Amino acid sequence: MKQRILGPVIALVVILASTACGSAKSPGNSNGGAESGKLVVWDWKSSDKNAQNFVAKAKSDFAKKHPNVTLEFVAQPFENYYTLLGAAIQAGKGPDVMLFNGGGQIRDRTNALLPLDQYVTQDKDRLAGWDAFSKDGKIYAAPITLQGHPIYYNKSIYTKAGLDPDKPPATWDALLSSCTTIKNATKLPCFSLGNKEGYGIQFWMSGMGSGILSPAEYDNWIAGKRDWNSANVKKIFATWKQAGDAGLNTSGANSTAMFMDQYTKFEGGKAANVIGLMSDVGGWHEMNPIIGADNLGVMLSPVITPGAVPSLAFDGGVGYGVAKWTKDPALAADLVRSLTSTDALTAYATDAGAIASDKTVTIAGGGSAAAAIAAAIPAGKPALHVALSAKTQDVMGRVSQQLLSGSITVDEAVKQLATADQAG
Amino acid sequence: MPSVRPASAGRTDIAAVPPVALMGPGQAAPRRRRRGHDHLAPYALLAPALLVIVMFRLWPLILGVNFSFTGDGDRNGTPVGLSNYTELFDDPVFRTALRNVGLLVLLLPVAVAIPGLLATFIFLRVPGHRVFRNVYFFPAVLSPVIIGAIFNLLLAADGPLNAGLQRIGLGSVDWLGEPKLAIFTVVAVHIWATFGMALVVFLAGFATLDTTLLDAARADGASTAQVIWHVIIPGLSRTIQFVFVTTMIGMLTSMFGLLFVMTAGGPGGSTYLPEYYIWIQQGQMNRPALASAASTVLFLVMLVVGLAQIGLLRRGRRED
Repeated sequence: MKQRILGPVIALVVILASTACGSAKSPGNSNGGAESGKLVVWDWKSSDKNAQNFVAKAKSDFAKKHPNVTLEFVAQPFENYYTLLGAAIQAGKGPDVMLFNGGGQIRDRTNALLPLDQYVTQDKDRLAGWDAFSKDGKIYAAPITLQGHPIYYNKSIYTKAGLDPDKPPATWDALLSSCTTIKNATKLPCFSLGNKEGYGIQFWMSGMGSGILSPAEYDNWIAGKRDWNSANVKKIFATWKQAGDAGLNTSGANSTAMFMDQYTKFEGGKAANVIGLMSDVGGWHEMNPIIGADNLGVMLSPVITPGAVPSLAFDGGVGYGVAKWTKDPALAADLVRSLTSTDALTAYATDAGAIASDKTVTIAGGGSAAAAIAAAIPAGKPALHVALSAKTQDVMGRVSQQLLSGSITVDEAVKQLATADQAG
Repeated sequence: MPSVRPASAGRTDIAAVPPVALMGPGQAAPRRRRRGHDHLAPYALLAPALLVIVMFRLWPLILGVNFSFTGDGDRNGTPVGLSNYTELFDDPVFRTALRNVGLLVLLLPVAVAIPGLLATFIFLRVPGHRVFRNVYFFPAVLSPVIIGAIFNLLLAADGPLNAGLQRIGLGSVDWLGEPKLAIFTVVAVHIWATFGMALVVFLAGFATLDTTLLDAARADGASTAQVIWHVIIPGLSRTIQFVFVTTMIGMLTSMFGLLFVMTAGGPGGSTYLPEYYIWIQQGQMNRPALASAASTVLFLVMLVVGLAQIGLLRRGRRED
């Protein structure tokens, strides 16, 4: 009886085993779809209303060069974007061109991407922010926006507290005392903070880092030489903890989402400052209409360590890369060039309120905040947290929450981060 | 077994087969020996179901386990032995996730007692029991994402619950922001959201309860507590076991939505569960092989829990 069951079952397993063997795994199975004269683009922006002009401009630019190639834009939900992309990479098939966040998200996935150096030489000078999309000296995506971390402040709260809204605090002590003044006069906390996902510390590190690290330390950090035991690196986390312990933040930071609760609180006038973004959400484009363009100020980090030179932290924000498995790399790279053309980027900057990577695009109607950001860009430096791997950022998010809740010391936090940074 | 097989099996013979197949191969043997010509039919009938299970369940499972012994990133596809598993158990976050699974098992009696107790009150016809019966079931039809969003607002540090606590002189509590507290908050919300289903099962169990026993107990002067302890609980033992099993499965497999919305695994990784860890490693950290290893561990945990539950149910049935 047993043999009777076993026979067919074994046969079945063998059949399945032999058919399934070839289908899974084996990355590099090229099956792009370019052979049918079609390129597939994955992103999380193209379905937005304010990206329609951008997509239309890019499409028409591309159509001039390749009239017979059809383009398909697939907008994925951002929450699942990298999960879906991970599955595509694992299978070795998927979109030809895809959008990436700069930094860890693209660097962790460069083995699925095509180096673009030979295709983008003409754009190198026109666009800024390449570093966030490069690894080991090779470029893997072309930036469309710049993303950075200016410190925004609500001028009317400063005025109400009797502080000069045009002279934001320039040292750590001045910041602490102005926070006290604001608290006493308006009962409002100094910083709107949402650290539920652990992003708050990233913004703190990059927003305040240039006021803490010496210029040499800063450059070494970006170059990958990070000394987690240095006093100044510890100070990044010590000031984070100090701000939390001193009640400088809005209440419940660990259970507040950065997007969008942190920003709605700031925009609702419930805190004096917020470390924000300079493109898309959480920045001047969204805050100007609510707070008032005249009321929104931008400051650089106060000088926290004597000798530090505060600067705006920014990198390439998002950019388009080309999959290794695409049929015709030159064609896909041409699409990336169309997506980063001046026309397309002008449309995106205007509609979405982004700081475009294209240096020739000027920000029109951004008010004083956007003007202050534009003025700070030439002297700006790459953001500190963007240089970290996704794993280190993940650990940093967790220890930052533990620092706020008091369940870990700065030394323990830095030790965990050093381990994660060396491993990644 | 006959060595020569008849060339054809008529349709009428096949029609007679299903009961044989249902009885299982062992029991079917005598009849089959008598009418050996249709012995292939059970396999033919089983084949579609078997094929689906093997192709869509077992085969991917084997692939997944196999994948967990390969590397990530640059080592994609190369065998790495047990290194994913050692990394997994070295990771304090994964250990927290497993500890939280243990915590869920420990909290199980609470999750069962609440609907049990409320169902008892409804059964004993407390005033307004009809209203309560409907109201209690209501959260069970809401999706975890909606429930999570509602409780995010209610439990926020500056939310209405804390405002109320402050008004009556108690300090505010960051329900979802305290590492030691957050997991209990999420479990409490999960119980609130799902106990309606267990309540319905309990009420169905009550319908089978022998009312003469209750009347006899009351006639003997038993208090409500004594009625519950000595009559209702023993009478409902099988229902209670069933609710235990289904609640356990619910807790281990359907907390993801709540966690995702309410805490995102935080603060400090204190509310991680294995399924959330798997999602983070696969999607955010780009470590599919490590995620496969975590999935394999979760599978083994569920296997142990599942087998224990089957054992429990079997024992209950034998007692009957």
